[in-house]
Amino acid sequence: MSGRAISVTLDGLTGRPIEVEADIVGGLPRTVIVGLPDATVNEARDRCKSAVMNSGVPWPDQRITVNLAPSTLPKTGSHYDLPIAIAVLAAQRAVPADELVGTAFVGELALDGRLRAVPGVLPATLAAAEAGCTHIVVPEVNVPEAELVEGIVVTGVRSLRQLVAMMTGDEVPDDPPVPPIDPPSAQPWGSIERLTGLDLADVAGHEDVRLAVLVAAVGGHHLSMVGPPGVGKTMLAQRLPGLLPDLERSDAIEVSAVHSVAGLLPSDVPLLVRPPFLDPHHTASAAAIVGGGSRLVRPGAMSLAHRGVLFLDEAPEFAINVLEALRQPLESGRIVVARAAQTIVYPARFQLVIAANPCPCGQGATRGSTCRCSPAMRRRYGEKISGPIRDRIDIRRTLTTPSRPELVETLATSRGTHDLAGMVLSARARQRRRYDGTPWRVNADVPGPELRRSWPLTDDARLLLDRQLRADKLNPRSADRVLRLAWSVADLHEHDRPDANDVRTALSLRSDLPLDAAMRALVAA
Amino acid sequence: MTSREHDLLTLSIATEPLDVTMREVVRTHGVTAVAAACRGESGTPEVPGEWRERLRSSPPDRVLAAGADSGACWVVPGRSAWPVALDDLDAVDDPGLAPWGLWVRGEGRPELTRAVSVVGARACTTYGAEVASDLGADLADRGWTVVSGAAFGIDGCAHRGALGVSGRTVAVLACGVDVAYPRAHTNLLDRIAEVGWIVSEHPPGTEPLRHRFLTRNRIIAALGAGTVVVEAAARSGSLNTLRWADRLGRASMAVPGPVLSQQSSGTHLAVRRGEAVLVTSSDDVAEELDGLGWADQAPSDALTDEARLIHQALARESGLGIGDLTVVLELPVRTVRAGLSMLERRGCARRTSGGWVVARDVPA
Repeated sequence: MSGRAISVTLDGLTGRPIEVEADIVGGLPRTVIVGLPDATVNEARDRCKSAVMNSGVPWPDQRITVNLAPSTLPKTGSHYDLPIAIAVLAAQRAVPADELVGTAFVGELALDGRLRAVPGVLPATLAAAEAGCTHIVVPEVNVPEAELVEGIVVTGVRSLRQLVAMMTGDEVPDDPPVPPIDPPSAQPWGSIERLTGLDLADVAGHEDVRLAVLVAAVGGHHLSMVGPPGVGKTMLAQRLPGLLPDLERSDAIEVSAVHSVAGLLPSDVPLLVRPPFLDPHHTASAAAIVGGGSRLVRPGAMSLAHRGVLFLDEAPEFAINVLEALRQPLESGRIVVARAAQTIVYPARFQLVIAANPCPCGQGATRGSTCRCSPAMRRRYGEKISGPIRDRIDIRRTLTTPSRPELVETLATSRGTHDLAGMVLSARARQRRRYDGTPWRVNADVPGPELRRSWPLTDDARLLLDRQLRADKLNPRSADRVLRLAWSVADLHEHDRPDANDVRTALSLRSDLPLDAAMRALVAA
Repeated sequence: MTSREHDLLTLSIATEPLDVTMREVVRTHGVTAVAAACRGESGTPEVPGEWRERLRSSPPDRVLAAGADSGACWVVPGRSAWPVALDDLDAVDDPGLAPWGLWVRGEGRPELTRAVSVVGARACTTYGAEVASDLGADLADRGWTVVSGAAFGIDGCAHRGALGVSGRTVAVLACGVDVAYPRAHTNLLDRIAEVGWIVSEHPPGTEPLRHRFLTRNRIIAALGAGTVVVEAAARSGSLNTLRWADRLGRASMAVPGPVLSQQSSGTHLAVRRGEAVLVTSSDDVAEELDGLGWADQAPSDALTDEARLIHQALARESGLGIGDLTVVLELPVRTVRAGLSMLERRGCARRTSGGWVVARDVPA
């Protein structure tokens, strides 16, 4: 007697269907799971046995073989509990086999038969729908997440008892809801909630850096800020996400899926519509930033910041291997974690913001400075961010301590986040219209040759850029980056094509020069 | 109003300020005769009909009434409110360049004997804006009146800097004192009028025209003991102010910027040609003016008696805290705190981990 149930396994965000088979044959009473289960999956035997028996169905006193196919793929996670239990029930004919066709099962069982929430339900549902399932059964807590996926019917259940009753057509017992043991809302990391209400106008002075943040928001450019401690680098970085528009639905689902795999998705608001903001501490391990883990490969901060902002405060203090790991996602927008048994790919197209002190003591490069760091120390400190990464950062600003801090407050006549976010939104709309029908969304995404070919500059702007190239002030790659920045400046100014002034502003943004009056007018109230 | 004041007002209405014919006629025949001729009361000297026409369309009495409506008054040379520095303009050029008089609006009594002009590009950069407001504030703190033109960019920042530290500031306009130009600076002009002056040689209601900015610049240059240009492109009007300052024997100064910045190319050129001295802070400006005989206001001048008492108390016993001082001197906490910050700003007292100590003597 055998039974089958469908479940899903996840490789990063992509999933594939797993067929869970149970066969009851004669022999000594024993349950065996085959198909490369890890410890969690192996323990499912005991959880399933208790849960089934406590749901009023006997557990066969015979040998039960459970196979997870394809059997060469390593399986991990507690979400196989439910499909294993269902397959065993089907083998006993305790549930009708035709109820199982086209239905996927995901969920962890408690010993008394309650169904516990599991991480990764959103990508699992996506995978099930893609694999042709028309129906998915998930723990009730995970229903809002699963319902984000279109084209699949989601059923939420509180216990195995309820599910069996539903399938056999009996009256469904009213079991109490099962609250998650570890409510995800207790983990504020990656959530943008804590940034609500932060206004760019709160940052007194630093007009040029506020402008830099604005341009970065418009075109999705990476930003670096260097300055002494306490000058406002973190404040400025925290105010960048507020300027970014809401995520498009497809992006929102992708971002939510990453957070779901990491178990960070709040069950009440499963769709993350605001761009995430991740600011890992500089002592964080490579696995925490890049992604990894002993069995299950969890997404790291770089992936959690997908379509959002990754802020590395005190960047030179991060471990070298962590900083070097930035290269791949900065280039390709994804992270590949290769293991002997499997290779996991997580998306990681984030906007990088790094903040650093000018030297180890932090007081270098300021007027009347008391810095005692030797030139060699300073150079070593700066070089912690290696050339290839530095080269990918389009906007660089040096912050200095205002010489009259009390004055800065009274002079503040700056536009707030609300106004500026509106400007970013319309500048993004221009980009979306321009790049309609291409894979790109924002200026920072577009490859240089493509940008030059399809969307030429005005003649004097091109001349200016050519002169810079000929004079060896720019190399071809950095010229492309200036070009992208110039487009963002033009989008802010609502120019149809970047003119010479826009290119000049882009060059100033990149080489830390003062910004002109046309730019100042953007942030002045 | 005396008849002389009335006559000068008549002249100021009849032509643009630097009309050469007018200057020549006045030098030969005198103010009274020319004013009478303009009004049509006498035939000699003969004056162009256009002047009479201007007077007919805005008669002095109506101009005075308009001035009174906007709270402005007409100040002529010889009056106590007249800034004598402007008389130097008559010495620079042959027919004389000093304004006939000045329309003045504002509640304050800015000390125009101690003034520095801070001007620069309208289209200034973020750097220029920061430097200009710092300079305005620092100079005002040192007791200087900050003179500028109330334009966008550097001018506005210099005014705001001075206002930010409750300093004195004067705006010289190229239009009537009742005309808010630029319009976006209406609030700024009102704030300047509260603590300082808004002045113009043009009758109230005069529109700002291009050539009026250039003639206005000579007044800005003349009012200051020196002129600082913070940012100027190669052909900026601010360089014109700088040249006026040079001709008037005032200190002409320029703030450097990045050599790649267009908005600093004019200032760099001025320095290179020897038309301006490079300055980077109010210290440099003070030193430059000191060289011309304008001693920086001694820091103790503005010290209150309470601050002096606090200084004496600290000299007697070092390391006192604010609480101790309130007890020793029987002064309210607020006064002690204000006095200490005043002393600290002037470098006379210093905060240490063990309380306040005397850093240097208070100049007598």
